[in-house]
Amino acid sequence: MGEHSKAEWNLLLPVLAMVSFPVIRMSMGFGAIESAFLIAVVPLAIFPAILILGQLYKGEDWWKHQLKEGGIVALAGLMITLSLTVWLIVEFLVHHAEFGAQGTILDWIHFEVFEGEALVGTSTLSFGLWIDSVSLMVLFVAAFLCFLICWFAIGYMTTDPINEDRNHRFFAEFILFSMGMFGMVLADNFLWLFIFWEIMGLCSYLLIGFYWEKPSAAAAAKKAFLTTRVGDVFLMVGLFMLYDLYHSLEFAVIFGDPTLGGAVHGADLQWPLFFMFIGCVGKSAQFPLHVWLPDAMEGPTPVSALIHAATMVNAGLYLVARMFPLFSEHHFEGDLSDLAMLIAWVGGITACMAAFIAFVANDIKRVLAYSTMSQLAYIFTGLGAACWFANEGHHHLSIVAFGASLFHLFNHAMAKGMLFMASGSVIHEMHHAHDHAHGHGEDDHHDFDPQDMRNMGGLASKMPITSIAMMLGSMSIIGIPLIGGFWSKEGIVAQTWNVYAHGGEMILFPAILVLATAGMTGFYMSRMWFMTFAGKAKSDVVEHVHEDTQWIKTPLVVLSIVTAFSGFILACGHFVYWLSDPEHSHFMTDLFAHPVDAILYELEHAFLPKENLLKIVGWTAILLSAGVGPYIAARMHGGHLSEGEESSPLTAWLISYSGNVGHTDIGDLAEGGFATALHNRLYIDDLYEWVIARTLLPLATICAWIDKNWVDGVIKGIESGSQSTSTWLRQFTTGRASDYLLMATIGMLVIVGVLWGVL
Amino acid sequence: MIEPSWIAGLGAFLFCIGLVGVFTRKNAIIVLMCIEIMLNAVNLNFVAGAAHWENIDGWVYTSVAIAIAAAEVAVGLAIFLALYSQRNTISLDEVTLLKH
Repeated sequence: MGEHSKAEWNLLLPVLAMVSFPVIRMSMGFGAIESAFLIAVVPLAIFPAILILGQLYKGEDWWKHQLKEGGIVALAGLMITLSLTVWLIVEFLVHHAEFGAQGTILDWIHFEVFEGEALVGTSTLSFGLWIDSVSLMVLFVAAFLCFLICWFAIGYMTTDPINEDRNHRFFAEFILFSMGMFGMVLADNFLWLFIFWEIMGLCSYLLIGFYWEKPSAAAAAKKAFLTTRVGDVFLMVGLFMLYDLYHSLEFAVIFGDPTLGGAVHGADLQWPLFFMFIGCVGKSAQFPLHVWLPDAMEGPTPVSALIHAATMVNAGLYLVARMFPLFSEHHFEGDLSDLAMLIAWVGGITACMAAFIAFVANDIKRVLAYSTMSQLAYIFTGLGAACWFANEGHHHLSIVAFGASLFHLFNHAMAKGMLFMASGSVIHEMHHAHDHAHGHGEDDHHDFDPQDMRNMGGLASKMPITSIAMMLGSMSIIGIPLIGGFWSKEGIVAQTWNVYAHGGEMILFPAILVLATAGMTGFYMSRMWFMTFAGKAKSDVVEHVHEDTQWIKTPLVVLSIVTAFSGFILACGHFVYWLSDPEHSHFMTDLFAHPVDAILYELEHAFLPKENLLKIVGWTAILLSAGVGPYIAARMHGGHLSEGEESSPLTAWLISYSGNVGHTDIGDLAEGGFATALHNRLYIDDLYEWVIARTLLPLATICAWIDKNWVDGVIKGIESGSQSTSTWLRQFTTGRASDYLLMATIGMLVIVGVLWGVL
Repeated sequence: MIEPSWIAGLGAFLFCIGLVGVFTRKNAIIVLMCIEIMLNAVNLNFVAGAAHWENIDGWVYTSVAIAIAAAEVAVGLAIFLALYSQRNTISLDEVTLLKH
């Protein structure tokens, strides 16, 4: 154990050196925008490098300890992308470069377009960059979190003997995954967006199935791949339809003039956008294609952080955000509002359903998985509201709702990235503590689950940094006033109800659901924290837990600070308006010029909005999420630490609160029918399995039979027929000259006879 | 004057003798002789035809065929000599290397 604790800061020197990469590019005379394509290219180049080096040098000392089996190489690559991203952000924020298409990097395919027989023109599929406030924000989230998660992964992966000599595969897939996200965000057309989208799909399969020798992990990987594939097929159909309408998939063409000079009508766009939305539903794990996400927890914890916070699930949201200009085109007014309502409904249903299932999850990572679904659903609801406003002509409100949704993407990504890493820290240390206490015997692992919160309790004194990080992350997700997610979640809930106030009666159901989910979030996140960190230790393993590696602690500290303050600063800096309408937003400038006014303005908007409805909704949300939910959770699962255990002062208040509110026994409730249904994830997985067993499996069996007997039968018939014929013919080749002469004579007589008959 | 059809019948008869000899005999030299009989059966037809139709072509064909047959016998006997020096036999039943 002590060996792990020694500082390895010197390993970070090559990583830090990579900060100079933008400086070198700059001195070569390139601008930030000209260098932006390297954000995707550098990881793409590093991916094979790690794989090949890892395969060649695995097991060697320098590879293992100096490069952490490729982890340092990946981290250096992500440092390059992060510094390039920051450079890009500076270029846009400080130097006010123009948003939009940034030129073509690569002409990919040229082809001629025919209508019938006539050549009507040529077309080119190319890859270029499109940068606006949304892609900048998502790019930063991805680059920043991928960097920190990679840092964390070095500590998490390389200290576990089970991963030895195959971590290079992990880091290579990790960096390919990040590259998929960077490329998707930068792409200037839907085709490349889709290609990178699929790269991420592939990497999610590879990473979730990293422990492929475990049947459950292999099954989870397949499930994730196939479930998202269902959505992707629809997305592809949607893109074909879109191409059919616009004869191009370039953002510049489609968003430049969404009506294409009056040729495209709003009604034409309903189906393509609907199909594309199904793709988003699959990728972002929304109802009814959500089933892959909880199982995806089979992957190593850094993968969960990567997929569920930094990259993949945000892809679906990003694509919906990309469709937004089509909703706000005033020629399409009213045509797409049904679709917007559908987005909000899907979001509302998923938010509530996932929160319910999270109530009973005992696996610490699964709670976070359901929380991810629920929070992404919030964003979908907000985007649905934004699209509805945009399509109904409420320009200002649509800007607020759109900005709030994407702001929630930012806050959620930061908090959830940290929460996953913190849970990883807990799991990692529980695992090590268990090995420490019970030895490395193989049998022990079967009856001890280091992820089960029923084995934890009282960890606050053992893992102070993790407990603080987890507390801040949970507060951000819950929406405790002034912290992180509060600012965006408040906006989403308020704008959803605002749709109702402006005549969108259909939204009432999702609006009620997201309001209720605010309280439910308060409950399940608090429940997770109290079960893990408060109360008395629930197993003897907890005794031996202690935080040790710098690799795991540093990202937690960084993200704790970001989560604690970024929400407030960005909210007061008009981040919401910058995201949706960057030209009129005064991003950060107001805050620097008149800090007090800006802060007061934002506080007034958040706590005392002018409309009474928003006031009621806002305060209900605060009361439910910050008051009722945590209170119930504290009564059920809270409690003082054991005698003599001291927690950090930052968490002590919470533990003493949970210990002082009293205790409620939930035995009956936890045994009830509804709880059982929740344990079984509302039987949705079972329903899918039932349907598939009755529809697809028989069909597959028939197909297999046809394939085996007909398709293969023909081939095999030809093969065995010719073989038996030739075997039969072999008996005539006696090797005797007289036999051959006889055959020749008979043959000649036959020929003569035939010719005689013919002539 | 002998009827041409008689001579043709004699030619066919000789040809069949040669053919049966080729199929049945095992000694390579006898087989070669049977081939000669077949060739000469054909030659007989040519000569008879030439005499009957008073056409010189038949004589020419015959002399060419005799020349070729002589060359063929020379080659054939050389092959049998080589075969004998290798295998110590000229029985065609024992020369079956082309068997499957």
